[in-house]
Amino acid sequence: MFRTILGRSGLSAVIPIAIIIAAGGWVLLAGKEMRPDVKASSRLAQRRPTGVLKLVSVEPLPEMGLDGEMCEWVPASSRSRLVAFLHQERSAPPAASATAGESRTSVTLERPAVRTIRDLFPTFTAVAVDVQNNEIVLQDENLFQIMVYDRLTDTPLTATMSEPKRVISGPKTDVEFNCGVYVDPRTGDIYSVSNDTLRNVTVFSRNASGNVRPQRQLSVPIRTYGIAVSEANEELFLTVQGPPMVLVHNKYAEGRAKPLRVLTGNSTGLADPHGIGLDTKNGLLLVSNYGNAADYRDGGVLPRRDHDMVPGSGRYEPPSISVYPIQASGDTPPLRTIQGARTQLNWPSHLSVDEEHGEVYVANDGDDSILVFRVTDRGNVAPIRVLKGPNTQIKNPSGVFVDAVNDELVVSNMGNHRATVYGRTASGDAAPIRTIRTAPEGKPALMIANPGAVAYDTKRDQIIVPN
Amino acid sequence: MAHPQIAIFARLAKGGDTPQRVIYGQTSKLSRNMHAVRYGETRDEIYITNQFAQSVLTFRGGADGQEAPIRTIQGPKTLLENPGTLEIDEVNHEIFVPQPGSENVLVFPLTANGDVAPLRILQGGRKNGWTTARPAGGIAVDPVHKVLVVAGTLTGDEVWQSPYGNNRESLLIFDRSAKGDEKPLRVIRGPNTGMHAIRQIQIQATNGWIVVGQMTDGEIAEPEGTFIGVWSVKDKGDVPPRWKIEGKPSNGILKPRGIAFDPKHKEVITADMRLNAVVTFYFPEIF
Repeated sequence: MFRTILGRSGLSAVIPIAIIIAAGGWVLLAGKEMRPDVKASSRLAQRRPTGVLKLVSVEPLPEMGLDGEMCEWVPASSRSRLVAFLHQERSAPPAASATAGESRTSVTLERPAVRTIRDLFPTFTAVAVDVQNNEIVLQDENLFQIMVYDRLTDTPLTATMSEPKRVISGPKTDVEFNCGVYVDPRTGDIYSVSNDTLRNVTVFSRNASGNVRPQRQLSVPIRTYGIAVSEANEELFLTVQGPPMVLVHNKYAEGRAKPLRVLTGNSTGLADPHGIGLDTKNGLLLVSNYGNAADYRDGGVLPRRDHDMVPGSGRYEPPSISVYPIQASGDTPPLRTIQGARTQLNWPSHLSVDEEHGEVYVANDGDDSILVFRVTDRGNVAPIRVLKGPNTQIKNPSGVFVDAVNDELVVSNMGNHRATVYGRTASGDAAPIRTIRTAPEGKPALMIANPGAVAYDTKRDQIIVPN
Repeated sequence: MAHPQIAIFARLAKGGDTPQRVIYGQTSKLSRNMHAVRYGETRDEIYITNQFAQSVLTFRGGADGQEAPIRTIQGPKTLLENPGTLEIDEVNHEIFVPQPGSENVLVFPLTANGDVAPLRILQGGRKNGWTTARPAGGIAVDPVHKVLVVAGTLTGDEVWQSPYGNNRESLLIFDRSAKGDEKPLRVIRGPNTGMHAIRQIQIQATNGWIVVGQMTDGEIAEPEGTFIGVWSVKDKGDVPPRWKIEGKPSNGILKPRGIAFDPKHKEVITADMRLNAVVTFYFPEIF
């Protein structure tokens, strides 16, 4: 190999170009015979100031050590690397190189962002109704708030948004990625499930507002999602997405209290469980499952960890609603399962059970719909009602609540900054009777939540962001 | 996190600009815990994992809506356990998947599909003095300098202890093609590094820079000491980053997690888990 000696500094930045020039020079100089006119023009070119890089001489390169400047061979197939290199703007200041010497500095950059993509409006993940106090409680996973509205709030089309009566929010609340909510029908206490990072169920009094500490906290596993309570037995039920399980605590448990029982194991059919509902009248526990499944080694002993998964056992099951005895624990298989193409299940999220009418409502996130089944359904059955269509304003619904007192159905929509209220038996493309909107009309929600990664599409100049 | 999705925004999107497309729904086979994502320009594909279903998914680069992946690595031969992150090497046509449970890194052909065995396994564990992070941590490959960088920790009695717990406070630098019981070539770790919980890692291979999202502790809502940090692929020991952008309001980030490059515009993009935001910095120093 040869190093070209160039007429100006900045050698490291132009080495690839120099090597190409050197190779050309080698061909010219080492060929059998140079044409006389080429010889003459080359000599002339060396004497004329051109203002650009020019070949002055060609010399052998020294042996390269690991810490010296390197010219790595990259296969021609490395199109992305080539594209990345060619994309660099010529006018930019020269970049530093990790291989350009041993001098080492550490610089803290004070550098504001050039752009930020961020939804500044609430995104509703879950809903519950305080029927005693005529309030609707909504979980906002985007800004980590619990928002309490008058039950009859109806945002006019011309309004930017509706203001809540109270907001619980701030670092003292220990609320983050809040995705499940339950309201005590007697006291109005608000139970909030933080799904990801803080690993807790926080309980606030009905009138709590602002940046306040919860009345009590219960530590729960990461990925706890759904919540339901049996008031008769004072038992708190929680789903955990993975490792999949249902935890049952005393309703007033706090701190690091151990669960009363745990439903978990390879026979349970739990597969990325989300929503949970109770039919205390018939002694049933219902769970919605996304269907992401794998086997676990221990079959159901707490604490279970991710690395108890059986390697290579992963599979995709169809989404389902699995039904268990309400007292189920351990590796108990479901009594029956609602599952199959006719069910229209598509990322079934929170559930709400109407005990009086024997129905279970499903927030069907992936299909922009609310599905209603009989709690006695099994197998590949069609829902008895489907609420879906442009008039419904349902968009990525993850929360649903049946208000049996007022005979209404309330839906929290992640996709459009709103909660929508319908008559309990609404179906088809029915418009809501009321809407609580927290962003300007027509403003879609970004639904960025706990973004764990990012990539850049160099072909389309796009930013790829998974939740 | 209540709704899995892969949202895809225009480069110049800002504020509440909506994504140009979104991959989601049952057909997509996505779930939560997507802690790494890669785009490969050569094949125009998006790569991601599903931890709960033990799979590696490949989508068309232009995938949109309720679209299925074009390839899925899943099954007994794969040995996939709880894949939460991954890296692709477009030069050598490979996918790297760190495994928290088995304490190893599985390497598959880039175009692997179905129930396929890994090409090779880099095995950690106490006997080898290092482990991968739990849950799965950042991983990146530099095909130019021929190194593999894995977030993890060292094992042993004399190992420095991060006040936030040892798990993913170290950058373990291996030969790119390391396999079996090979040990790291170099390790970057220690109190001067500021690293306590590394998330996504990217390598700017042209110049050999490792760029890291450092979020200190995922279980603290707004932890101290978060930053985007840059080290050299040749760094080792307890050395601070060559450059860093701290997580604070004046810089517009609080808990940086994801890291991506736009080399054409000399930009570093981060996903901030506390702000639920995507933040872009001009960062010409590394391009």
